[in-house]
Amino acid sequence: MILTYTLLVCLSIFIFSPFVLIMIKSIGKDWFGKLWLPPTLTLDWYKWAINVARLPEVMKNTIIVTELAVAMSTIVGIFSGWAFGRRHLPGKELLMSMILLPRMIPPITYALGIARIFYGLNLVNTHFGIALAHVTLCAPYAILVMSATFEGLDERMLEAASVCGANPLRTFFHVTLPQIMPGILSSMIFTFTTSYNEFTLTLMTYGADTLTLPIRTYLAVGEGYWEVTSAMSVIMVLPSLLILFLIQRQVKPEQLVGGFKGL
Amino acid sequence: MSEWMIELKGTTKRYGTLVANDHIDLQIPRGELLTLLGPSGCGKTTAMRCITGHQHPDEGQVLIDGQDVTDLPTHRRDLGMVFQNFALFPHMTVYDNVDFPLMIRTLPHDERRQRVTEALRLVRMDELGDRYPRQLSGGQQQRVGLARALVYRPRVLLLDEPLSNLDAKLREEMRFEIKELVTQLHMTAVYVTHDQGEALALSDRVAVMNVGRIQQIGTPRDIFERPNSLFVADFIGLSDFIEARVDAVEGNSTWVAVKGLRVRVETEERLRIGQEVTLFIRPNRVELLEKGAPAGENVLEARVQKLTYLGDNIDYRVVLPGDWEIRVQTNGQQYLPAGSSIKVRLPPKHCHVIAEQK
Amino acid sequence: MRHLRSQRREWLTTLLLLLPGFAVFLGLFVYPFIITIVLSLRPEGQTTGWTLEYYTSFLASEHGRQVIVLTFFLAIATTLFSVLLSVPLALVLRRKLRGHRFFRAVPLIPLVVPGLIGALGLLLVFGSRGWFNLFIRDVLPFIHGPIAVNYTISGLTLFYVWLYFPYTLLTTLSTLEGLDPGIEEAAQVSGANPWKVLRHVVLPLIMPGILSGSVLTFMNAFGAFSIPLVAGGNYRPLSVDVYKQIQLFVPAHWSQACAIAVIMGVLQVVFLTFYMRVLRGRKVK
Repeated sequence: MILTYTLLVCLSIFIFSPFVLIMIKSIGKDWFGKLWLPPTLTLDWYKWAINVARLPEVMKNTIIVTELAVAMSTIVGIFSGWAFGRRHLPGKELLMSMILLPRMIPPITYALGIARIFYGLNLVNTHFGIALAHVTLCAPYAILVMSATFEGLDERMLEAASVCGANPLRTFFHVTLPQIMPGILSSMIFTFTTSYNEFTLTLMTYGADTLTLPIRTYLAVGEGYWEVTSAMSVIMVLPSLLILFLIQRQVKPEQLVGGFKGL
Repeated sequence: MSEWMIELKGTTKRYGTLVANDHIDLQIPRGELLTLLGPSGCGKTTAMRCITGHQHPDEGQVLIDGQDVTDLPTHRRDLGMVFQNFALFPHMTVYDNVDFPLMIRTLPHDERRQRVTEALRLVRMDELGDRYPRQLSGGQQQRVGLARALVYRPRVLLLDEPLSNLDAKLREEMRFEIKELVTQLHMTAVYVTHDQGEALALSDRVAVMNVGRIQQIGTPRDIFERPNSLFVADFIGLSDFIEARVDAVEGNSTWVAVKGLRVRVETEERLRIGQEVTLFIRPNRVELLEKGAPAGENVLEARVQKLTYLGDNIDYRVVLPGDWEIRVQTNGQQYLPAGSSIKVRLPPKHCHVIAEQK
Repeated sequence: MRHLRSQRREWLTTLLLLLPGFAVFLGLFVYPFIITIVLSLRPEGQTTGWTLEYYTSFLASEHGRQVIVLTFFLAIATTLFSVLLSVPLALVLRRKLRGHRFFRAVPLIPLVVPGLIGALGLLLVFGSRGWFNLFIRDVLPFIHGPIAVNYTISGLTLFYVWLYFPYTLLTTLSTLEGLDPGIEEAAQVSGANPWKVLRHVVLPLIMPGILSGSVLTFMNAFGAFSIPLVAGGNYRPLSVDVYKQIQLFVPAHWSQACAIAVIMGVLQVVFLTFYMRVLRGRKVK
């Protein structure tokens, strides 16, 4: 029994320690040499991130890109999900596996192609361009979730509504929409996190005006200031962890395996 | 050799505030097939799981063949068990399933093969040794389960609602097969079910359970004909109940007053005059007489309220004086239309009293 | 006649609904993929002409082969260790011990966090002045520290495992919890002690879950980019090598990069198909 708990505690330490350390690093000063904790605490690094690294602007970029990506993916998801979930479609299984390909093939393989195309179309260094690249990764997941949602919609409920006298439009707003709302929300959460964390595709399509948080953090590593990098990392990770905390009760873990990640 | 093969001494098991088993005392002699019978939640499955070791009682002891096994883990108790949903190993063939207990015990190959074939032959599954559980019907799967439970000659066989997942006709056949096997092998067996027909047909003794306690233990006949409580009387078979008061006692006859009427009951219960009791009779023991039939002991005026034709028999609702409604079942030879006035006779030897009221 | 027309309308609506999805799929995935392939076959910086030189030079070179071996090694090692970690963990987590809700949420964390951040944090923890080595120095003085973890191959594998083991764990756990408890009870009653139940009954039955989870782990580890980029040091798997072709050279070696990327994609698909075939083969049996 003790062995079991030791194993679990060790695992938890293994998982958590990177974050804890990042957090401490972000508020520590003069932490050289062989100490467990920094001798002084400071918020300087955060100030640096905000003022010198122009973090608010980066945040703004990230939010804009993410919103665009989420909006586009959700729309694609709803339309495609409707088709997959409710309409007669031959070869549905095959189509579904195809839809998931962008997530299964390493993004770097088609990121190059995307970068080239975007150069040609002047989409590099635009919010829309980056969002579009994100959609490649986010849409499959949105489609998956919305297909399941639409599939779960009970045909008979809609029939009951029309028997009660509702025309298609009213049925949609009063019956269908409330039913698919959880699916839409779930899809939005997943696409949000995927886009927010996305790195590989963004790396290929960003420019000086469209730094997102992941990219900025990466560049900070190159600059060598671990403390500032840590501060940015903390700011970056907080929303994801928050969302995880909020939804961990509702969501079955297997759904998450579909992936939140931006490689 | 101990007197009892299985013994539960004061076993109690609680889940929070719910008492699933409340100080159960049970002794099962060698070679007996005892059934734990009762409605859902009565504690019969918990009691069985205390015997198998899948539950550990909070109080009390479990003894098998005189040995205290209360703290002994399941795999050392040398029991055989048949499950409601068969619980066959899906990744093994029929042969391997039955071979499993022998493989665990590392018996020599030849002996294993001999025993497995014998066990499969016993349940008439010897031709299907290569099949996988998913290729078998429910009845076949259960027979494999039986073979697996018996192949290592355990001291005790436990059956947890083994027939519940089979269809009705199969159930009757399997019931017979199980009883045959258990008798043939002189096994001690504990059977759990909520189906009273099964319990009465199979068992040497039946323990009727309710809310964590054993209400009554006895042979099927005892339970059916001499229930000791309202619960048992109501749970087993159909009954007509009415509250009554003891009027007079003489020898093995007791007269009870029921709604102004006087009924004689043949009973060995020692009752006091004035005691509040419940009179009950099985609906198929009530005699229906024409209106013009002579008056007599236990003969009462009545009126047919409604009747339902069930093919094999007719189910009557009859009203006696004082608004006493009873259900009567006849074999369909008499047809008495609704609304007609009749007489009923409650034969004294089929009337029973239970010394409690609702 | 009317029937046919409404049928055609049905088809049209379905097609319209699928249009956005198809547009995304074709425009943002298939087309870029084709571009990548085309680029990989063009001489650097030109718009005509075909050549296989980037493929041959990469596959023939010592460097190219090392990179491929490295990528496979990392992916396979990660998968192996993930399985070794996940199976006991799943067995522990399925018993609802105290605080099991918390312990169940813990493995979800690497899933929601970008690899970049995970890599950064892990570098801090396992650095020569990180807590890992401080722990060894202060609590386990008999071990000669500091142990170099960062930028070593084992360290990199460790980082990969940190990030990707949850995939294996979650599918294993879900398969484990889907097992009929009666089957294990039947094994116990038949006389099998807990180890034998595990070996003969539980493990064979959860194997499908373990394997499908390991596929996910493998896929992610094979294609991992941000971790090796940040924490790989001198070790450059295929994904990083692709990027380096773009980043380190001016003008960027697009063709070479695309060739490596295509090789990477092909290798992954081939390996996966092979693996899936093996999986399916087992199921039929």
